[in-house]
Amino acid sequence: MSFSKTRTRITRTLAAVASVAALTFILLPAQAAAGLNIVATTSSLGALAREIGGDEAEVRVLAPPDRDAHYLDARPSFMAALRRADMLLELGAGLEEGWLPAAQRGANNRAINSGQPGHFRAADKVELRRSITMDGPNMGHVHEEGNPHFNADPLRMAELALALGQRMGELRPDHAEAFVQRAEAAAERLREHAEKLAERVEPDQRIVVYHEDLDYLEEWLPVEIVGYLEPAPGIPPTARHLRSLVDDLEGTEGTVLYAEFQPPRGAEFLERNLGWPTHAVPLDPPADSGLDGYLELMRTWAQALPQR
Amino acid sequence: MPHNTHLLRPALGGLTALALAVPTAATAQQWETRAGDRNWGLDISLILEGVYYNEMSRGISDPAGFDDGHDHGHDHGNGHDHGFDDGFNLGHSELVFEANLGDLFDGVLMIGFDEDHVEVEEAYLTTRALPGGFQVKAGKFLSDIGYINSRHVHDWDFVDRPLVNEYLFGDHGLQETGVQATWLAPTETYTQLGVELLQGETSGIANYEGSQSARNGQERILSDRSGPRLITAFAKFGPDLGPDHAAQFGISGGYARSFQKTDEHSTRFEDWDGSAWFAGLDAVYKYSSGRAYGHGDWRLQGEYFYREIDVDRRDVNFEADGNGPEGFVRNEQSFKNKQDGLYVQGVYGFAPRWEAGLRAEALGLTNDVGRGDGESFGTSYRQTAQVTFRPVEPVFLRAQLSQNDFVDEHGDRDRGLEFMLQLNVALGAHGAHRF
Repeated sequence: MSFSKTRTRITRTLAAVASVAALTFILLPAQAAAGLNIVATTSSLGALAREIGGDEAEVRVLAPPDRDAHYLDARPSFMAALRRADMLLELGAGLEEGWLPAAQRGANNRAINSGQPGHFRAADKVELRRSITMDGPNMGHVHEEGNPHFNADPLRMAELALALGQRMGELRPDHAEAFVQRAEAAAERLREHAEKLAERVEPDQRIVVYHEDLDYLEEWLPVEIVGYLEPAPGIPPTARHLRSLVDDLEGTEGTVLYAEFQPPRGAEFLERNLGWPTHAVPLDPPADSGLDGYLELMRTWAQALPQR
Repeated sequence: MPHNTHLLRPALGGLTALALAVPTAATAQQWETRAGDRNWGLDISLILEGVYYNEMSRGISDPAGFDDGHDHGHDHGNGHDHGFDDGFNLGHSELVFEANLGDLFDGVLMIGFDEDHVEVEEAYLTTRALPGGFQVKAGKFLSDIGYINSRHVHDWDFVDRPLVNEYLFGDHGLQETGVQATWLAPTETYTQLGVELLQGETSGIANYEGSQSARNGQERILSDRSGPRLITAFAKFGPDLGPDHAAQFGISGGYARSFQKTDEHSTRFEDWDGSAWFAGLDAVYKYSSGRAYGHGDWRLQGEYFYREIDVDRRDVNFEADGNGPEGFVRNEQSFKNKQDGLYVQGVYGFAPRWEAGLRAEALGLTNDVGRGDGESFGTSYRQTAQVTFRPVEPVFLRAQLSQNDFVDEHGDRDRGLEFMLQLNVALGAHGAHRF
């Protein structure tokens, strides 16, 4: 019968496909075991991973530093990268909520699923500052676990480096010692650099920021956040809100800081009405940088403020 | 085509076995939830939509060759094809539940409702723990063929579904109960392959009637045919184009081993029984300018689908008429319907939080309907423009103007103009957006 032939052919094809698939399972993890293939959502995390991983890790950053990591697309290329990753490194606490779960789901890679050792959620390793949205109206970005923008705090980044070195060691026990040592060295440099930069800034600086993304500067620089250009995180500045900011801050001195990808109009309004200097600063180092890139970023933040 | 049954059964059996066996094997390995991972539990979101509809001028309601098998549940008999009444409409709202079982399964339940209907649109489990880039989805879901088919209303760039999706598949696109298996290749270019075994109930491609009562000793040609009756396959490719550009290209097709239809005419039933297949191409390109609130961003997408229905026809009188007594059989013939359609659309963020889009559609570039002596109908067109404002992330307000330029069965054309205003609000834990 002709279809019994067809069936045999189909059975053979299926058997061939199954063998190829089985071989793929067996061969791929073995090849990957050599180095650690890490995908980091932001370049601050990428910088730490690169520093700690050295030659034993390959790091790819998904969010370019000139983009708002709240708003990305779950691109096919992200899924392809996550499919091959041994480790996914995310800031967490809702920052990447708009796109990362879709990319993670589309990657069909169990190693980086939530709950697996290959999934590293930085927000779980440090204590977060309270987010304004935890008290405010249910609008804009609700950072219900706390403010996730702690990449602006080198002290928390130092804590993170230690936890990350530990985890990378768990995934590649052969290199565990090297990872932990490099993590300790990185943490040391971050703390020293933070202290040095803080000493050079004039004390008691007042700053207005765009989003609650630079709040963490308060943790290591002698600054106080006195206002936000956004009425609520994720809600664009309104004319009424900006006028009330000017009314509140009239006659005082300070600096306006905002991210390079944020619209400058609100900051310019404050500059005109209060005479405060404004600075557009990056929030993350260049996509391919290591720790040096992050230390340089810290310098950019500190030097946007009046120096002693 | 009885041999298809023999092929589908073992394939389905194998897939089910794979779906059941592999997660079990995976549990045997250690899996743990790390303290602080808060991604567990149930997420609920509610999407509410309101539509103001105004038919400014009435054209031809159904494009020639496509009125068959196309039935609008909420059409109040006045023939317009969106299911909207002139004036205010509740639109299409959704209640979405998402939860997971460790990292083994994700479960999704999506309930769609409007003023008159509540429907389970999707209810499925997806595996998260299969090795080698495999994933299995089981339940009721929107098929992943093409691009827009698997997307829900609030994800569309226009108020309504593209004609090709609506008329070649059905009012809800290709939405079926069954099993899907996908494999993601470990390559730099995103490469996903997938197959779906589906029950086969979608009106445009796998219409199912089941056995019909005999008339005066004359057996009807329609009989029960067990599922799955529809199999689809798709491949998607997404090259890595750097931080500013992203693209995805897809190819898909499907075969329904059963396409059945029955029409009740004044004195006779017209029965169709046969099979159908389709194939299509889709492409999406997105440009991200890096400016705030979508200013300067582009989204371009297009899809083409071709469908062939191959059926035997047999008419049976349920009442005596001039042609013969009750049970009289006539019009026995075999014929093919060959039809296709496409759309291209582009959306541009012309200001922060504002975007405008254009869509051009053609339905029936090939429009050969074999019934009777066979006819070739003309092509119907539609052009649409929209402007969307997103004051805050979960809310959008969209104004849309469509001009349809449909052809009727006699080759006459008429233009109709429609205006729509849509308000869409997402409340609660709104899931991550797919590309």
